Amino acid sequence: MTLYGRRRANNAVYLALSWAATGIGLAILFFILGTLLRNGIPALRPGLFVENTPPPGSRGGLGNAIYGSVVMTALATLVGTPVGVLTGTYLAEFGSASRVASAVRFINDVLLSAPSIIIGLFVYGLLVVPLHHFSAWAGSVALAIIVVPVVVRTTEDMLRLVPATLREAAVALGAPQWKVIVLVAYRAALQGMLTGVMLAVARIAGETAPLLFTSLNNQFWSVNMDGPMANLPVVIFQFALSPYADWQELAWGGAMLITLAILALNILARTLASWSNRSP
Amino acid sequence: MDVSLGLPTRRRIDRQRLLDAAFRGTTQAFAIGVLVLLGGIMVALAVGALPAFRAFGWGFLTSEAWNPVKENFGASPAIYGTLMTSLIAMLIGIPLALGIAVFLTELCPPFLRRPIGTLIELLAAIPSIIYGVWGLFVLAPFLQLTVQPALVSTLGELPVIGALFAGPPLGLGVLTAGVILGFMVLPFIASVMRDVFATVPPMLRESAYGVGATTAEVVRHIVLPYTRVGVIGGIMLGLGRALGETMAVTFVIGNAHRIKTSLLAPGTTISATLANEFTEAVGDLYTSSLFALGFILFVITFIVLAAAKLMLLRLDQRAAK
Amino acid sequence: MNAEYALTAEPARPSTLARPYVRPREPVAVAQTSPKVVIRDARFFYKKFEALKGINLVLHDKRVTAFIGPSGCGKSTLLRILNRIYELYPGQRATGEVLVDGQNILDPAQDLNLLRAKIGMVFQKPTPFPMSIYDNVAFGIRLYAHLAPSQLDERVEEALRRAALWDEVKDKLRQSGLSLSGGQQQRLCIARAIAVKPEILLLDEPASALDPISTQRIEELIAELKSDYCIALVTHNMQQAARSSDYTAFMYLGELVEFSETETIFTHPKERRTEDYITGRFG
Repeated sequence: MTLYGRRRANNAVYLALSWAATGIGLAILFFILGTLLRNGIPALRPGLFVENTPPPGSRGGLGNAIYGSVVMTALATLVGTPVGVLTGTYLAEFGSASRVASAVRFINDVLLSAPSIIIGLFVYGLLVVPLHHFSAWAGSVALAIIVVPVVVRTTEDMLRLVPATLREAAVALGAPQWKVIVLVAYRAALQGMLTGVMLAVARIAGETAPLLFTSLNNQFWSVNMDGPMANLPVVIFQFALSPYADWQELAWGGAMLITLAILALNILARTLASWSNRSP
Repeated sequence: MDVSLGLPTRRRIDRQRLLDAAFRGTTQAFAIGVLVLLGGIMVALAVGALPAFRAFGWGFLTSEAWNPVKENFGASPAIYGTLMTSLIAMLIGIPLALGIAVFLTELCPPFLRRPIGTLIELLAAIPSIIYGVWGLFVLAPFLQLTVQPALVSTLGELPVIGALFAGPPLGLGVLTAGVILGFMVLPFIASVMRDVFATVPPMLRESAYGVGATTAEVVRHIVLPYTRVGVIGGIMLGLGRALGETMAVTFVIGNAHRIKTSLLAPGTTISATLANEFTEAVGDLYTSSLFALGFILFVITFIVLAAAKLMLLRLDQRAAK
Repeated sequence: MNAEYALTAEPARPSTLARPYVRPREPVAVAQTSPKVVIRDARFFYKKFEALKGINLVLHDKRVTAFIGPSGCGKSTLLRILNRIYELYPGQRATGEVLVDGQNILDPAQDLNLLRAKIGMVFQKPTPFPMSIYDNVAFGIRLYAHLAPSQLDERVEEALRRAALWDEVKDKLRQSGLSLSGGQQQRLCIARAIAVKPEILLLDEPASALDPISTQRIEELIAELKSDYCIALVTHNMQQAARSSDYTAFMYLGELVEFSETETIFTHPKERRTEDYITGRFG
């Protein structure tokens, strides 16, 4: 074969592999979604949302787990977002040259990818041991710690994108720096920051490991934040590994619900992001 | 015509300045809080791990024991499992991620670029536990029935690497966990690679195509060398994630505190051990040993992630020039 | 661009090359104008680079002073000294004296917010804030005074009227400022600047990003506003300078080459370089 022929064959092979890789990636996605829908839809009945997790062998629902997940996710977002926004603001507005800011940025990005089970371990030592009991507060704190780095990164990135002339216009009117940031910069970056929050919510909605030793799980309906609280991921963990068919069916139902919710949030966040890019 | 709105009073000016300082101080405090958080995590883990390290010393890292009754613990199987599954994950994930990144940047028709890119990102958004459930109920049986027997009968017969594929095909085990992990980190690495490939100046690529290079050659000789640092950074970020992954691995690894040569055998990882045993751990030494495992994991992932971040920072600085 | 211009001993003679048309106007007796801003030996540095080299000139109240010159000559830099907006960026500093109503604003003790309340600035590219038209105009007012809603409404309307924008937006005050056209956005920015009733207006190429019709309206606006404010107008459009200003300063490579009444600069400039620039020999 000529050299040119060899090169072309080489190229064809590599390109075919690229196509194949993408095909595999997409296949995995559809395979997983397909499995979730196939096994999760049978679990869909109105009772799924209203009834609580049952003892093995009887019918039930995921009501308490859904409630717990929603409450802890909401609380974690409410606590983590302001912390993340303020930190991101510091990095973007006051921290261009400071070494403290560089360190914070670095550490933040490390925490972004840190194992979530370690976070769970940390909050266990911090809140569960001293208080001698598991609690939904601890679970929320663990989730909040995961929210913070995500929000810090998106806030800093979005604030840096606000054009300098917009800030100068506000300063030229005599606005003090904090007003330039709060009244003008935040408003200009709002859509981007919102996207960041949504992505953070999507991330913690599926997190299991940090809840394993903080909020634990609860068989019954509970609104008591001071005690263990049911949540979808840990319920799925427990039920999927069990030998009971009823439990396994609920596990699939829960898995499908979580995945659909997270994917919907992701798609929503990205559509929001591309809208804000298109507006004049 | 009145001359002025009424210039701000001295008091108002002073108050604005106070508010400015307060705002700056608040944001700075929260920012430092992030550093404090990291420090807190290290301290908490170290404190919890101390009894175990004091009881077992450095031998903790090499001991294969894991006996809750006799209170003898060793980290070796867990560390081995963590490293092994991550290695397999990288072997699977890196080529696939590279293929996807090349596809998205060079081969994909422009109108499909955004949708397929989004789909890959959705793959990254699927939570770990879903991968675990899918792995347990779908992938493991599949591997058990098809791939693993095939491996045993082909590669298992070869002299040296045969030992890697010995033993009964159980479906669960180190290999399956590595495969699932590979699927999990692949979209993440692909995203980073794609972003990094996009930093190649178009003129560079065009001049390569212009002299008649094929796509594969452009990628191999132009794109990859140019983005080398970023690609390695992305791979290490993926590795950092793989090392710490919990739920996907816990479902399919088989949870056996043993080191076996065969990849088909069950094993354990640090995070799987923690997930499975922490809530049932009785006794201070048991709990402390688990904390010690957590501490080791944190140190390993911190080093990998910090190195990755440094590499990516260098790429940013270069791109800015 | 040539840089070897020897200063000739005799003033340049009016040439037959085309030059911008200057509206004949009443000669202004010196006693009738009052210097609002006196700039003495002002220098500006970007780190080590000296961008402005010893500028001396006077801005008169209720008059328009135009700054012309090729790109990079320092005219925008000079404008930005006047409200010290360069303070936002480390590594930039100014020396010399800039006296506004007799007070040196380059003094470190000068309160910046107080200064910027007196001096309004409009930028090259329209920069409406991401809020409603009403809130845009009210932004500056709200910084300094607690007004009753009806009073605030009056101020906003007054500012929009003076900026010749009221009729076009009076029915959509609550709509976003970004929904306006480019020319309207720029007039919104002017309204926003004059809403706080400054004494000095700095206009940095206010019409350069706009179409010719919008440009004309802005120039008409400048002619009206001049009766109340001291206006400094940076422009790369010489015709605009000739049409709109009373005094013109020609700058080149960070130096003030010539400064005098607009009619003089454009009909018989004293410096050779000025003559070459306005007749289009360079720049």
